[in-house]
Amino acid sequence: MTDHRSSRRRILRLGGAAGLASIAGCNGLLGGGSGSGGNGGGGTGGENVVGQIGSGRSPFGARDISGGVSMAEMPDLSGELTLYSGRGEPLVGQLITFIEDLYPDLTIRPRYNSAAELVNQIETEGSGSPADVFYSVNAGSLGALKDRERTVELPTEVLDMVPDQFHDSDGMWIGTSGRARTIPYNTNELSDSDIPDDIFAFPETEAFRDAIGCAPTYSSFQAFITAMRVLNGEAETRQWLNGMLELGLDTNYADEFLVSQAVADGELRAGFANHYYIQRVLAGRPNAPIATAFTEGDAGAIFNVAGACVLDTAADTDLAANFVRHLLSAEAQDYFARETFEYPLVPGVEPIGRLPTIDELNPPENLDLTQLSDLEGTVDLLRDVGVL
Amino acid sequence: MATDHPTIDDASDDLPLPTTVASGAVAAAVLLPLVWLVRTALDVGLAEAIDISTRPSTVQVLVNSAALVVVVTVASVLIGVPLAYLTVRTDLPFRRGVTVAVSLPLVIPSYIGAFAFVSAFGPQGAFQRLLAPLGVERLPEIYGFVGASLVITLYTYPYVFITTRAALKSLDTTLIDAARTLEHSQWEAFRRVTVPQIKPAVGAGSLLVALYALSDFGTPAIMQFDAFTRVIYVEFTTFGRDVASLLSLQLVAVTLLILGLESHIRGNEPLYAGRQGGRTSGTVRLGKWKYVAMAGCLAISGLALFVPLGILLTWLAQGGAEVGNALAFRPSYALNSVGVSAGAALVATVAGLPVAYLAAKHRSRLTEAFERATYVGYAVPGVVLGLALVYLGTSYAQPIYQTLYLLVAAYVVRFLPQAVGSMRASFLRVNPALPEAARTLGRSSFGAFRAVTLPLIAPGLLGGAALVFLTTMKELPATLLLRPSGFKTLVTHIWTATASGYYGHAAVPALILLGVSALSMLVILSQEGYDVK
Repeated sequence: MTDHRSSRRRILRLGGAAGLASIAGCNGLLGGGSGSGGNGGGGTGGENVVGQIGSGRSPFGARDISGGVSMAEMPDLSGELTLYSGRGEPLVGQLITFIEDLYPDLTIRPRYNSAAELVNQIETEGSGSPADVFYSVNAGSLGALKDRERTVELPTEVLDMVPDQFHDSDGMWIGTSGRARTIPYNTNELSDSDIPDDIFAFPETEAFRDAIGCAPTYSSFQAFITAMRVLNGEAETRQWLNGMLELGLDTNYADEFLVSQAVADGELRAGFANHYYIQRVLAGRPNAPIATAFTEGDAGAIFNVAGACVLDTAADTDLAANFVRHLLSAEAQDYFARETFEYPLVPGVEPIGRLPTIDELNPPENLDLTQLSDLEGTVDLLRDVGVL
Repeated sequence: MATDHPTIDDASDDLPLPTTVASGAVAAAVLLPLVWLVRTALDVGLAEAIDISTRPSTVQVLVNSAALVVVVTVASVLIGVPLAYLTVRTDLPFRRGVTVAVSLPLVIPSYIGAFAFVSAFGPQGAFQRLLAPLGVERLPEIYGFVGASLVITLYTYPYVFITTRAALKSLDTTLIDAARTLEHSQWEAFRRVTVPQIKPAVGAGSLLVALYALSDFGTPAIMQFDAFTRVIYVEFTTFGRDVASLLSLQLVAVTLLILGLESHIRGNEPLYAGRQGGRTSGTVRLGKWKYVAMAGCLAISGLALFVPLGILLTWLAQGGAEVGNALAFRPSYALNSVGVSAGAALVATVAGLPVAYLAAKHRSRLTEAFERATYVGYAVPGVVLGLALVYLGTSYAQPIYQTLYLLVAAYVVRFLPQAVGSMRASFLRVNPALPEAARTLGRSSFGAFRAVTLPLIAPGLLGGAALVFLTTMKELPATLLLRPSGFKTLVTHIWTATASGYYGHAAVPALILLGVSALSMLVILSQEGYDVK
């Protein structure tokens, strides 16, 4: 393990130092550059949203930028950029607008849709695609574009901003924020000790009988099963799925936000979901009886990324790559922690909410996220056992 | 050129060349997206194609979809036809009000309806919480086949209601009187005189319902029912574009089957049914059945309207969480929606006119094929059609790709049959003696059309245009793929908000959508039966 871990620790330390040095510059930039003047830490939205980037209030308390490299230290952006965003506008629109407003000569044309539809669209558009950058919710759809040879390599100064395991080994895409697989559970029905640490103990856990749910059409669930196939093989994954079905796994949810809502409502006792859905439920209903449990070192605890790639149809690949670099700035990383409740990937920027820090997570070792793009095998398996 | 059609009755004199060419061009344009579908599906390869098509799970969803289509269509006829009869032919009180109320569910997008029904009647939904003090801990399952059929029926039966109503209004009631004098009972008169005359209209409405049920994705997904569209969706989300196209082609095949069936039922419909001046005397008296009928009407429209309205108002009351500017509502979204919908309605009317004219006035295999071709786009799921136009746009029409022109074209391909169906029915009601008389009086054929036929079919034109307007307002998947970057409409805004779980922000645009759509519904209702007053 220690290769990845120790190199990550080292980068964590280095990044922290660079981040401290940059805070002064960042504040200056925000005070003058954005023009909105609303740089106060206590703003709660509305007209001063742009000023909030870099420092602001989350549902879990106010805070300042904790580390990373400021946009002020990055190359200026100018020109026109068409961004296909598989991340929703309510979640990232504010950040995109902030970057656009920062530079007078920059026009960003964002196009929001689901990641899968955008991948299909880019593929169907072929060489006529207007897209410069694809911004995605998961490594799988980035890998799909890489597999179809639609991406160009990112510069090393961008790739080096995150630890190695968070970017593609060929440099074709980079993670911008992280998402941990978790077990949301209803605190009225279960306690943390009821949730096994081992994903393979789940089918034998009677506490889950007829009261655990998942969203099998959802890409993050499919990535989780893909990880299990990669780590444990086809046969063991099939056995696990069959065991879960015998336990009464409810496979009827359309997405993991709905799974988490159902857990909070008591419709389910537990479920499978990315960590931030639980935080989003809590942000809207602070007293909801829902909490987060993790498994250890297995597919149930994979740490996937949202990320970006530059497309082979990009009109200006430098501009496109520098835009991706801005998504790794201190301001953007802090924004992800605060607004989308994700894990920042640039070392030194801490997550927010009722969550362990990234170092406290126990994702499986030696899992290359690029391997998670093999969704077809997973879908065949899910279909075969009757989950889909 | 149209003489080699043995089964065609004598109405098929020589086809007018310009109209035929125009009609053929429209049909070809509408079928063009299929080229992409075929091309992509061919990439799958024959062996895999057979494997996929015969997989037990594929067969199962095919069966599921077929069951859904049959149940929804039958239920829509069972609701739509009696409602139409009650509001046209009986002394039901407040007939105008009832007509509006039972038509209005059409303005509610079925996915909003489905969502509302799940929120209201889910195992632990709003309704259960309301009943919780009475000791009700769990409601019966709304999910699955029952829920999906219920919701799609509730939001599509107005197609049958509206078309049947129009036919009943133009019914020549002297025939019914004649039947009654021949000592037929009320029921027998209905069966032997009314039914044959309204059959084509019921068929046209049912066709729209059946194809909608087949292509709807949102409702089965929300209702957790494995319909055809869900398998296509799963393939698309796992980047199996070619497999998704193959399955879409299967869907087209099913569509053709349904079209064939409807053609068969439609049969040799009477041309020029409902001659001008038909009388609407002889209203059927309901007596004390009046109250039962009234209660039935109110129950259906109440269920369909108040559940989503209630849920939307709850969302509105809860307000939105703080999510910054991205979800702030702007009036321009409503203007954009109205603008593209009006454009689509106009283009669909113009494009559909020659098709509808030929199909009604010069029946032949060719003209029927043109007319049927317009239905294919309606049955293909929006996302498939959207991708087909993405391909055509980037490959052959780059300058209009991601512009409003291509977006409007997509809407026309999807919703043309609604305009064609309505216009065709109006043409059928124009007695050919009238334009002929104008010709004898020295008018050119176009002059006769403009002076005589056009005013007579105006209500059908407007009604069809309003229907296209209405459905375009609600369309989502093709809009997401083809809109210009940054172009937002009411439904894309609703989608943006709900996809991230910010339901509070979806309430205002949804209520505006319902309001604008309700206005266009009033246009449809005010225009129908114009010529038989």
